[in-house]
Amino acid sequence: MTLSYVPGDSLAHRLDPRSKLLVQAGFAAAAYAYTTPRGLAALTLLAVACLRLAGGGPRDLWTYRAAFPVLLVAPLVAGATLGPPWFRVERAATTGLASYRVLLILVVAAGYVRSTPVRESRAAIQRAVPGKPGQFLGTGVALVFRFLPLLKRDLLTAREAVRARGGGALPVRERVRLVAVAGINRAFGRADRLGTALNARCFAWNPTLPRLALGPADYPALAVGGGLALAAVATLA
Amino acid sequence: MATSTESVDLVGDEAATNLARAALFAALVGAFAYVTFPNPVSPVRVTLQVLGVFLAGVYLGPVWGGASLVLYLAAGAVGAPVFEGGSAGVGQLVGQSAGYLWSYPLAAAAVGAVVHRGATLRDLDTVGLPTLVGSMVLGTAIIYALGVAGLALVLSLGPVEAVTVGAAAFVPAEALKIAAAVGIVRSDAVAAA
Repeated sequence: MTLSYVPGDSLAHRLDPRSKLLVQAGFAAAAYAYTTPRGLAALTLLAVACLRLAGGGPRDLWTYRAAFPVLLVAPLVAGATLGPPWFRVERAATTGLASYRVLLILVVAAGYVRSTPVRESRAAIQRAVPGKPGQFLGTGVALVFRFLPLLKRDLLTAREAVRARGGGALPVRERVRLVAVAGINRAFGRADRLGTALNARCFAWNPTLPRLALGPADYPALAVGGGLALAAVATLA
Repeated sequence: MATSTESVDLVGDEAATNLARAALFAALVGAFAYVTFPNPVSPVRVTLQVLGVFLAGVYLGPVWGGASLVLYLAAGAVGAPVFEGGSAGVGQLVGQSAGYLWSYPLAAAAVGAVVHRGATLRDLDTVGLPTLVGSMVLGTAIIYALGVAGLALVLSLGPVEAVTVGAAAFVPAEALKIAAAVGIVRSDAVAAA
């Protein structure tokens, strides 16, 4: 199951994307500043609350399964030593806490992804990054969302076709080449048609964006995000 | 909807096509995360994202190749399922994979800069095999140097431990991707280069 935007009416859905981004940044800073059992216990409650307020649950974390082996193995590797005492518990505990804070940051990020539609994220990016770089990022991000499923299907179709023609007997390098060539050709074909279509429709650097406005619910969220960031800065001072 | 009364500032033919190509290549790197192949030398299956990084540098050049991977990171951060295993979110950009992800735009730009010897694209038929392979070895070095450094910082690991967790099982597969990339560029099978 892939983590993605789920339409809904939760508190997180009603927040402005900018306040949600600030909460994530503040949370990450706090998680790095307070990597202690007590700090992470408090942040665990906050992280779970963020995900629940977005209507999410443990199932949304399955999307990060690729990260779990590294997070689990890292403390064991950190604790292991060549020679007595063979395993240093305090080193493993330090890395274990570091692994756990990464997991918490992923939980909060899942809440954002679940509760924020693409066009709001795009508007937030274009308002945060001024000028043409912002336009480039905003338009590009929207296009990536649009074309990812198509290109994914192109690649899987190509792999299926290679397999159906006895490609399983070919060396892996050759199979990779065949699938990648099909993917690139399709991507360039789509890009060139898209470029022509964009020009034909007067693609401009200053299009009209959806309106973003901070509502009453945003102020507590901004306070939480800003507070976490300040708390993280306070430990540096 | 917000209204704006300023005059329309057209993007123009060349930039629009480049933007479309950069965005499509970013989506392709994301789609590569879903296609895995068996690794001849390790039980960890190979995904092709790094191949996508190399090819972005080769086909789009240092500027648009790097820009394409910036789009990839931005889209993943706001929720496109383009990162490893189809995951997404800002968390990935500050988590254990941070070093690898942030190195992608740099690696694509480096590959492009070596292959094209500057910002303007040159005909790929005139690029020698040593240049092609060298550029991708450099790209691999950048990705793993930053990736392992990120892992060491984020998970409080020592250098040897970080290499054990983050590079030892994966580096051999990079040779396979470099070989595949050379095959792709040399075969003239990509029509729109």
